[in-house]
Order: sequence, then structure tokens, then C-alpha cells
Amino acid sequence: MAHPISSPRPSRPGISFAGRPLALLAAAVILALGAWACVYLYLRGDRWIALILFLGLLATVYVFTSPRVYPLRYIWPGLVFFVLLVVYPIGYTVYSAFTNYGTGHMLSKSQAVQQLQSALYAPPDAKTFTFTAFGDPKGKIVFLLKGADGQLLLAQDGRVKPLSADDPQPVSKDGGQTYERLGDLPAIPPLKLIARLSQLQNQTFAYGESVLSISSLNQFSEMRHQYKYDPQRDVLTNLATGKEYRPKDGYYTSADGQTLSPGFTSRVGFYNFTRLFEDQAIRGPFTEVFIWTLVWATLTVVIQLVAGLALGLLMNDPYLKLRNFYRSVLILPYAIPAFISALVWTGLLNTDVGIINGILRHIIGFNIPWFQSPFWAKVALFLVNLWLGYPYMMLIILGALQSIPGELYEAARVDGATPGQIIRTITLPLLMTTIGPLLVGSFAFNFNNFNVIYLVTGGNPPMVGAQTPAGHTDILISYTYRLAFEGGQGNQLGFAAAISIVIFVIVAVISLIQFRFTRLAEEVSTDYV
Amino acid sequence: MKKALALLVALTLLASLAVGSAGALASTPGKLLIWCSEAQVPALKPMAAEFQKKYGVPVMVTEMGFGDIRPNLITKGPSGEGPDLIVGPHDWLGELVANGAVAPIDLTANEESLFTGTAIKAFTYNGKLYGMPYAVEAIGLIYNKKLVPHPPKTLDELMAVAKKLTDPAKKEYGFLYPLGDAYHAYPFLSADGHYFFRLTSKGFDAKDIGIAQMVPGARIIATLTQSGLVPKGSDYNTMASLFQSGKVGMIMTGPWQIDSIKKAGIDYGVAKLPTIDGRPATPFVGVQGFMMSAFSKNKLLAMQFLRDFVMTKEGQLAIHKVDPRIPALKSAFEAVSSDPDLKAFGESAADGIPMPAIPEMAAVWNAVQNALTAITNGQTDPVTAMKTADAQVRKAIAQGAKK
Repeated sequence: MAHPISSPRPSRPGISFAGRPLALLAAAVILALGAWACVYLYLRGDRWIALILFLGLLATVYVFTSPRVYPLRYIWPGLVFFVLLVVYPIGYTVYSAFTNYGTGHMLSKSQAVQQLQSALYAPPDAKTFTFTAFGDPKGKIVFLLKGADGQLLLAQDGRVKPLSADDPQPVSKDGGQTYERLGDLPAIPPLKLIARLSQLQNQTFAYGESVLSISSLNQFSEMRHQYKYDPQRDVLTNLATGKEYRPKDGYYTSADGQTLSPGFTSRVGFYNFTRLFEDQAIRGPFTEVFIWTLVWATLTVVIQLVAGLALGLLMNDPYLKLRNFYRSVLILPYAIPAFISALVWTGLLNTDVGIINGILRHIIGFNIPWFQSPFWAKVALFLVNLWLGYPYMMLIILGALQSIPGELYEAARVDGATPGQIIRTITLPLLMTTIGPLLVGSFAFNFNNFNVIYLVTGGNPPMVGAQTPAGHTDILISYTYRLAFEGGQGNQLGFAAAISIVIFVIVAVISLIQFRFTRLAEEVSTDYV
Repeated sequence: MKKALALLVALTLLASLAVGSAGALASTPGKLLIWCSEAQVPALKPMAAEFQKKYGVPVMVTEMGFGDIRPNLITKGPSGEGPDLIVGPHDWLGELVANGAVAPIDLTANEESLFTGTAIKAFTYNGKLYGMPYAVEAIGLIYNKKLVPHPPKTLDELMAVAKKLTDPAKKEYGFLYPLGDAYHAYPFLSADGHYFFRLTSKGFDAKDIGIAQMVPGARIIATLTQSGLVPKGSDYNTMASLFQSGKVGMIMTGPWQIDSIKKAGIDYGVAKLPTIDGRPATPFVGVQGFMMSAFSKNKLLAMQFLRDFVMTKEGQLAIHKVDPRIPALKSAFEAVSSDPDLKAFGESAADGIPMPAIPEMAAVWNAVQNALTAITNGQTDPVTAMKTADAQVRKAIAQGAKK
């Protein structure tokens, strides 16, 4: 139905490069790089990454040229980074949690097989030979080997055979010390050979049951292959003993339980998760660690909130002189990297030589064992984290205070409310609606605040008699760091991934509950307004 | 739609171009790549240039954070982006070998004998040599000549000297060392011949764990703290800063402290660690060396580089100049042994044992450090502390063997 006033649908053109050569150039460069990366990755064997990148490029071209998905253009870059920086790492973590990825299992199976297959060993009575190379340094090379017994051998085309009368004969000027020619072929001085050494080192020449290969600039050595791989049966056989090794739990394993190193990454199902819940040694200190984690995350937020609130209200007072100066100074702890502050605090709190105990000694007459007693170590942590965290709280509270309408205060004063009443009934409820979600975020952050724990106390003082090393100030994340990376088997990345998933679930559940409460607070405060 | 088509055509064209260039980025044989940390770069760069001049083979020296070299080799080696040689300490070997990241190197018995025995032993793992050593280091006794004119020869002497110098009120101490650190505590813990893992001819035996027996050493540590000689908060930084301010008679640490002490203007001396109950103290010895990547395509070239520059006196001295540790090549060590500091650290190292490189050590650090802290805090007695640590290590290792 035509309507006289209805304007035509706004046209949504594809991107026009007319008159925008720079934009065209940028687009071309990005696409070229992407295309190049695709091919490079494909040639390197990373087919899946290449395919995904290629599909991504296609999608990008489509989004930016088709009028039909015009609105998508605005969020496309964001989406791409979201996938790269959020979705992919999460996906990879989840995947890793179901593998044994970690020390001893870093290689893929084919890489492990290849390494074992190419392993050579010197047999007990291995022979060595001096050699002279003949031919063209850039082309085909023939080697003349001389054994300890003076026998001459000819190495070419992957085989070694004794020099016979039918072969081209070596020419020597010094009675067999050095050779100048082999038939028509001139000798190659060792220095000329060195540029090709890396290609020559992989050449082997069959010699009975063994192989001969170049082992230094002037020597050939007898070597034997250690293992033979049968791809059909997926079995590695030790050629010296005849023992067979089959893949099991990430290692090639013999019937009597011997394993070959290196192992490879393999899927282990829910093993990493069941281990976390079933292993007595891990469960031992778990309860105490978990309770302390909750206490730590909750109390630290409360303490920071109280300090931030007090300072925020103070800094918001228009009658305060030098307000901006104080504000700048109070923000300073936030500007110093937390790593440095944390380390400085460990020095300040040092029991015997720290400046804080130095002052306290004059006042109370004895040292506080900051890092030696579980109680004081926890106090020290709250102190340090207060220093690190109050500026953030102060900032968000200062911001939130601006959004509370002035009329409310005016009305309250007109009604004769005391300052305490104003804060309790107006400021706090309205503040909570704004900063409530931020408090939940702060809780989640401190729940996993590895840096502060690790740098200030390292989880110490230790729990005496625990089955697994743990400390009184270890929170879940630092405790699991000990398990996954200091547990004695190198880096157990798969196990660490499983733990981080579990911690995520815990934090998510707690946060959900908290959000519920903030929403309740919100509803209550909306009634006020 | 036309534009989309045009773009796609351009894309395909570019892709075909890329096929040609892709080969150039993959690591190519005939070119050496060495990863090392900051300390060795100034020495290796001229060597690289000389190697290139001599053989026409380009050598690249890439500087990397010390802590990044090992994980990077493990992850980048298999994907073909790794180097041919890395420079690092021998105790990386456990993890590197378990991950198939390094390859053994072949030296003749004659060549091996050019190096100090400890250095070769340290780089021997599962009976194979995995690196060419260039420097050895161990902790010794560093003393302030003003406060301690004659360094003590025995632990009893040390305690007597320390007692006279200690006055906590003035923050003056006779003897300090990092209390909670198992590496620095090892000379004490190993008193009476005890060990974390027993050293056999084939290397350290992860099944023979002797932590529970380390009670005599643990008692020494308990005495040092309970008698008030070493304050409970003594960690590495406290020790270093107090010594540099001239308030400490003796500290127990390694050559890496010397530079700062010199800069602080302290008149210092270095002595061999004191004997404990008549036996020489056995510190952990760390050995630095060159290791070959298992994924190197230039193993023979890399060997040539090592033979030319690391197995020679000149090469070792050149590295020593920028990274002043005890040279691992006998002839180079003799050339620098007139330096009294090096000589003393060298004597300490001579009695020491290589730091175990087996991956199981990771469990030991954690457990023993907890035990040390519990002892020095007075939370528990030496016997219980060491027993607990022993059980924790056994548990962790058994857990690892299960998978």
C-alpha cells in the first residue's frame, strides 16, 4: 500500500571505498594478512585453525559487504575479540580439563612416536670412522670412510660397502693420510662441508644391522635404532630386547608396566575431577582452606567498603578544604602496581627488622609475629589488601554519591533529620543500588586474589601435619596452585584447568545468590524514591 | 555483491602468493639459533659473529627472560619454532627430558674430563649427558671483615662468633641466612650425610627419600632460631639489605650477592662453608650450561659451536667476564682461581652435590619449605616437621606415579 508521506526505506549500502583509498588499503592489508596466515597455518599442519580463520575471514567479508546484515557491522569487531579473548580460552580450558596435558604429556602422539622412532643409540662395540667427502659441495656427495683397522668403505645412496677394485679409486699424495680425489671427484675440505652439515646429519647409511651417520666434522659413527613403530598395530618395539610398548594413559607402556618417555597428551575423561574430590590428601586441608577463602573474600570486601565509604563521604563534603589534594593522595595506592605494594608491605611487616614492628615495639613493648602466627598473618593480609583496595571503593562511592539527587537531602533537612539519619535512610540505601553489583564483583575478585596471598604470605604459616603442603592463609586458588604446579610432577595443566572450572562454579553460585540479595535491596530502595 | 566477489578474487590471488612465502618463515636448517638470558648475550654475540666468519653459518642469539626459556622451549619446540641451543641451569633437565624437549649430546671420555666432575655429573640425566656446562655455583660464607676478621672454620665457631655480634635491639646480627628457603638451608639439612634423594651412579633415585632422617640438620636450624641468633623474619631480602648496611657479621648465600655488596662499599670476604660436626658442609651446586633442543635441525652445527666456544678456555673466560661465576672447564677455572671470592665459592661447591634435576624435586621444595617455616616459627619440633614433609613428598610422588 503506497502512502504519500511514507519515506523510502533508508538505503544500507555496502561499504564504498570510492574516494577512500586509505580505507581500501587497510582492508586489503588485513585481508591479505589473514589469507597469508590461513595458508601458512594450513601448510604447517594446523588445519583446524586454518579452516576457522578462513571461515572467519569469509564471514568478515560478508558482514562488511552485504546490506542485509548491516547492523552487525557495528558489533562485529567486538564479537571477534570476544571469541578470541574470551570464548576460545574458556573452551580450551574446558578441553584441557579432560586431558592429561602437562609435564611429560606436552607432545602430540605423533610427535612422541616420531621422537622415539628416530632415537639412535650406540651399540656396545660401536665403530667409528674417519672420512673424506668427495664431489660437489652443493650437489651429490660420496663419502670415503676409513675404519680403525684401515679398511676403506664407500658410503653412498644410503648404503655402505667395502671399496672394491671396480669402484673409482682414491688418490693420495701422502700415503693414505689424506685424499685428494676419488676417481674424478675432488675432495671437499671440511670447512666447505659445514654449511651442509644440517642436511647431511639426517643421512644414514645401512651397515649390517646398524646405520652409519656423520657424527662430527671428521667422524662417522655406528648407531642403531632403538625402536621400530608399527602404525597398523600402534605398537613400538624395542629392537634390542624385542619388548612391545602400547599406548596407555599417555605413555607407550609395556606389558610389565614400563613406560617410554616422552609421553603424549591424551584424553582422560573425568579423572582430573574425580581426583580432586576423591584424593584424601587433597581433601584433607580443603575444608579449612575453603572456609578461610570465604572469610577472606567477605571480610576483605566489608573492610574495604567501610574504609571506602568513610573516605568517600568525607571527600564528598564540600566544606572540606584541600579536597582535591586529599583525593589525589588517597588514590595513590591504586596507582602503584599491586605487585610492588605487596612486596613493600612484606618488608614493612617483617617481624624483626620491619618498620611497623619497630614502631609497635616502642608503644606496646613486644613484636607482633606478623607472618609466624596464623592469626596475625591473616590480619596482615587484611591490612595489605585494605591498602590495595580502598581507593577503588572510594572512587566508586564518590561516583555513586554524585547520582543521589540533592533534593532528597534538602527535604530530609527540612523535615529535621539528623546527619546520621540522613546517611542511614538516604545515602546508604541509594548507594547500595549502584555499588551492590560492584561489591559482588569485588567479592569474586578477592575470592581468587592469588597475587596478594602469594606475594605477602605465600600461604604461610604452614598447617602442621597436613597430608599435602598447605598453609593457614592459603585460599583455594593458591592451594590449587601448590597442587597443580608444585606438587612434584611438574606442571599439571590439565588438573589445573579442572580445578579452575570447579572454582568458577563455586564463584558463580555464590555470585548468583549475592545478586539476588542486591536485587532485593534495589527493590526496597526503589520504594523509597 | 560484485564488490564481495572482487574482494574474494583478490583474496585468492593473495593466498596463492602466500603459498610461495610460507616456506621462508619455517625454521630452516643451516642457521643456528640460541636462546639465552640477559647475562650471556654480550659474550655470545661476538662468538656468533666469529662462527659466521669462520664457517659461513649464520648464528642468531635471542635474549629471553630467564624464566621464559624453559616453558617456551617446551611449548614452541614441538611446533618447530624453537631454537637449536638454550642456556640454562641443569635442574631444568628433569622437566625438559620428561617432555622430550632436549636431546643428549655426545662427548668422548677425554672431552668430558676437561670439565669439573660435578659439572658433568649435574648435566647427566638417566645416564646420558644433556648439556655442556660453562659455570658452577654454590653458596658460601660471606663475611664483613670489620666485624669478623677471621672467618669461622666450624659451625660451633660460627655460633660463638655470631653470639658476640648479635644485638637484636640495635638490629645487629652475627649470622643471617634465608630461613624458610630449602636451597639455602640444605648445607644444614644435609648434616650427617643426609639427603633429599639418594645420589646413585645413575643419578638421583626418586624412590630413596631421606627427608625424615634429616633431623640433626633440622635441630641445628631450630637451635639457630630458638637461641635468638637468627631472627624469625630472616628472609633473603632482609639478609641482603642488613648485610649491605654493615650490620651483619656473616651471611650464607651465593656469588650473585657479591655485586650489590661491593656497591654498598662493604669490606667483605668469602670463605668456604664451615664444617658441621667435623664433616664438610654440602651445599647444592647449580650448574649452568648449553642444552640442545630435541627439535633442532642443526645438531651437528650446534655441537661444532659448543666445541669451538664452550669447550675452550677462551670461550669460557669470555662468558665468565660477563657472567662471573666459577668456570666449569678446568683450564678456565685455573686461569681465574687467583680471585679469592671465586676460589672460596669454588671450594664450597667442590664439597657440594648437584641440585637434583628430577621433576620430583618440585614436591620437595614445597614440603620442606613448609617444614622449615614450621620449625623456625616454633610451631612444631624438628622430628615431626621432617616426618610430615617426608610423608607429603611420598604422597605427591605416589600420586604422580598413578597417572
